[in-house]
Amino acid sequence: MSAQKKRNFKIEAFKHRVEVDPKYAEKTWKILEHAIHEIYNHNASGLSFEELYRNAYNMVLHKYGEKLYSGLVTTMTWHLKEIAKSIEAAQGGLFLEELNRKWGDHNKALQMIRDILMYMDRTFVPSNRKTPVHELGLNLWRDNIIHSHKIQTRLLDTLLDLIHRERTGEVINRGLMRNITKMLMDLGSSVYQEDFERPFLEVSASFYSGESQQFIECCDCGDYLKKAERRLNEEMERVSHYLDAKSEAKITSVVEKEMIANHMQRLVHMENSGLVNMLVDDKYEDLSRMYNLFRRVPEGLSTIRDVMTSHLRETGKQLVSDPERLRDPVDFVQRLLDMKDKHDKIISIAFNNDKTFQNALNSSFEYFINLNNRSPEFISLYVDDKLRKGLKGVTEEDVEVVLDKVMMLFRYLQEKDVFEKYYKQHLAKRLLSGKTVSDDAERSMIVKLKTECGYQFTSKLEGMFTDMRTSQDTMQGFYASQYSETGDGPTLAVQVLTTGSWPTQPSAPCNLPAEILGVCEKFRAYYLGTHTGRRLTWQTNMGTADIKATFGKGQKHELNVSTYQMCVLMLFNSADRLSYKEIEQATEIPAADLKRCLQSLACVKGKNVLRKEPMSKDIAEDDAFYFNDKFTSKFIKVKIGTVVAQKESEPEKHETRQRVEEDRKPQIEAAIVRIMKSRRVLDHNSIVTEVTTQLQSRFLPNPVVIKKRIESLIEREFLERDKADRKLYRYLA
Amino acid sequence: MAITGTSEKVALQALKASDWHLEGAFDFFYSQPQIRAVTDSRHLEELYNRYKDPYVDMIMVDGVSLLCNDLQVEPQDIVMLVVSWHMKAATMCEFSRQEFISGLQSLGVDSIEKFREKIPSLRAELKDENKFREIYNFAFGWAKDQGQKSLALDTAIGMWQLLFAEKHWPLVDYWCQFLQVRHNKAISRDTWSQLLEFAKTIDPQLSNYDAEGAWPYLIDEFVEYLFENGIVQRGN
Repeated sequence: MSAQKKRNFKIEAFKHRVEVDPKYAEKTWKILEHAIHEIYNHNASGLSFEELYRNAYNMVLHKYGEKLYSGLVTTMTWHLKEIAKSIEAAQGGLFLEELNRKWGDHNKALQMIRDILMYMDRTFVPSNRKTPVHELGLNLWRDNIIHSHKIQTRLLDTLLDLIHRERTGEVINRGLMRNITKMLMDLGSSVYQEDFERPFLEVSASFYSGESQQFIECCDCGDYLKKAERRLNEEMERVSHYLDAKSEAKITSVVEKEMIANHMQRLVHMENSGLVNMLVDDKYEDLSRMYNLFRRVPEGLSTIRDVMTSHLRETGKQLVSDPERLRDPVDFVQRLLDMKDKHDKIISIAFNNDKTFQNALNSSFEYFINLNNRSPEFISLYVDDKLRKGLKGVTEEDVEVVLDKVMMLFRYLQEKDVFEKYYKQHLAKRLLSGKTVSDDAERSMIVKLKTECGYQFTSKLEGMFTDMRTSQDTMQGFYASQYSETGDGPTLAVQVLTTGSWPTQPSAPCNLPAEILGVCEKFRAYYLGTHTGRRLTWQTNMGTADIKATFGKGQKHELNVSTYQMCVLMLFNSADRLSYKEIEQATEIPAADLKRCLQSLACVKGKNVLRKEPMSKDIAEDDAFYFNDKFTSKFIKVKIGTVVAQKESEPEKHETRQRVEEDRKPQIEAAIVRIMKSRRVLDHNSIVTEVTTQLQSRFLPNPVVIKKRIESLIEREFLERDKADRKLYRYLA
Repeated sequence: MAITGTSEKVALQALKASDWHLEGAFDFFYSQPQIRAVTDSRHLEELYNRYKDPYVDMIMVDGVSLLCNDLQVEPQDIVMLVVSWHMKAATMCEFSRQEFISGLQSLGVDSIEKFREKIPSLRAELKDENKFREIYNFAFGWAKDQGQKSLALDTAIGMWQLLFAEKHWPLVDYWCQFLQVRHNKAISRDTWSQLLEFAKTIDPQLSNYDAEGAWPYLIDEFVEYLFENGIVQRGN
């Protein structure tokens, strides 16, 4: 506590105004001025707060606020200039420390001064629109210290230098840095930004520009990305330790721009280590890193996506055009599935299951699968192979998995109607030869197709299954009835096929052996007895037979053959030698089929139950055939039939395609009529667009074919051209 | 009737239309677009019988020959097509009684002399855009076999040669060539009528041909043919 000073005046109540002696004001000020000095000199302990406060209060009350305020400004300024000198004098590393220490001091002083001058702060300051004491103190610090020309540049350079050193691996005093940057923020965010942040960002930009240039010359893509990621993390950590939080977004975008955005193309296309290589080698970690870094920059993900897409398209295109691959349809499809699996995995592990990437994958597959117009056929053959034997012993869930994957490929097909045709053919063969691995699997496939394409797509297929079941019942009925008194004649198993549901085959002639004919007629009589009004035609090109044969040394074998083959072999019950012509005459089997049939009986090792002269591979018109007494086989049961589904030969393929084209015409016409009926009048291009949209779930119609169908409809007076506008068509009711 | 030289029927028409005012009737009469001259139906019968086939109630090939002779025109002269059009003849080289008589009536002739005098004006009708189009489109139904929907290629080519001699189209020969080489089938009605539009609106260098222009497929093929053989340069 200080001694009380003698006063020359009395403080009176508000009753009357007291004019204060100007000398008094000066004196009072001197007291306060002295106090300020003491505070700055760390001598505050000798001061009475209450007294000083009172003095300040009086000055303001007696309208000397202005004097007080300006006095404050002058005094503080003087002190700060002294402080500046001492900071400037600091050497090297001590500069920042000195600055920091003096800042601390100033803040403490400022607080005390503010407390003392609180009355002025609350009354005089606002009513005279002056800057409040605390803020004033900061501004003065800013103007006299930070912006003093000796300190300003040195401060910035020091900070930047420290940051640079830290970037190059040195350890720096982070606590000190934090204090300094906090000081700048306290002085105002524009001070922080102008005096530090902006130059910091510029310098960082050129630092990273240089570093990235250096890295990219010597690193491969994966390493570069690791370094970039590291730098990015470093900067974020730096901010959290000693920069203002708002700087994070700014500095990271600098790093992103310099290290990633500026080098995107080069990185992605880098030879031997770029994106394509990563994809091929399944480098999940590298890919994931690339994804996460690139998604921070504009166009980053689209760059990755575009390169991936063109890579997929290229690879896929090569796959479907490679003649080696096309030899084995099952392998072909398996490779497509493998390719899809591989990239699905990449997208899910490394690309965060990003939908846009999924879409790019799908569109690429759609593109190249349809480049090869045998894709529908091959996919059907793949399913055929699986259902025949590939899925043997596989669990139900795994079956579903395989079929679902196949369905994914199916969805990419543009010509789904072609697939349907082939699937029908292959299914027919499977059903009729009884060669399907699991009925459930077959059904499951049908259900999936139905879900995908609707009822019409699968109604015929389902019809085929129904026929098979019905035939079983029919056979039971047949054998129970009196028609089946055959004694020890051949045992017949008939499948009755509804014509509309099964693939159409022209029924070729074929003379069945007498024994067979007999039992067939019995069946026919039985069937037509219970189903009047129907017509039965024997499909000799689709049947099979099991024959017991005894060879030279008495060895017995059971031969499983096609119906055609059976007809040929039975001839040898009554003759040892037959010429081609004789066989042809007796059986009336069409030449192409007969030749294939004889080839499989006489020219295949291990299955040559017939002997041919001459021993050539091809069947000529004047060849002669003998029953091969010397035939041997390890197996009792020998399979010689040729009923397995195979990929079509060129002429068969041509024929199927023609049939598909023919089938499309009425579908296109029906679509045109449907559209015109509802729209009444429509222009040409709109019709083409609408028709394409309506039919796209089955196939992609050719605009030229659509045009021809329109012309055909004009000719048949379903449509006419508008008289005024020749591009417009009208529906004729 | 005395002033205008018209028939009683027409005079009555004119008077009725003008509310029995004489002056109005004259106005009405002279503003009529087509003044049909009177034909004597007895003369028409005689004329028909001159050309009619002895066994059938139709004018057949010989009769047509004779008619052409009398008219002093060649049988292949295109004016005969115009005549047929006026007669609304169903098929070429034949006229039924109805067709012949009402045809001549609508032409306003009842004698060979009058008919002959009419020939130049009939020829002139081909120069009229609208009439030419009607005649052209009429020719399709007239030239084809009755039972068929389409026109046999040879006949079509012959007709085109004839018609485009009147209304010059520089690509007509290429068109006919193209058809014989590539198409070799009958021509549909739509193709026939659209060809005229094509010839009228598309310039011979095909600069304004639009592939999206809903032209019949055959015409699109023709354009391809022209490009392929370098007859027209692909410029667009």
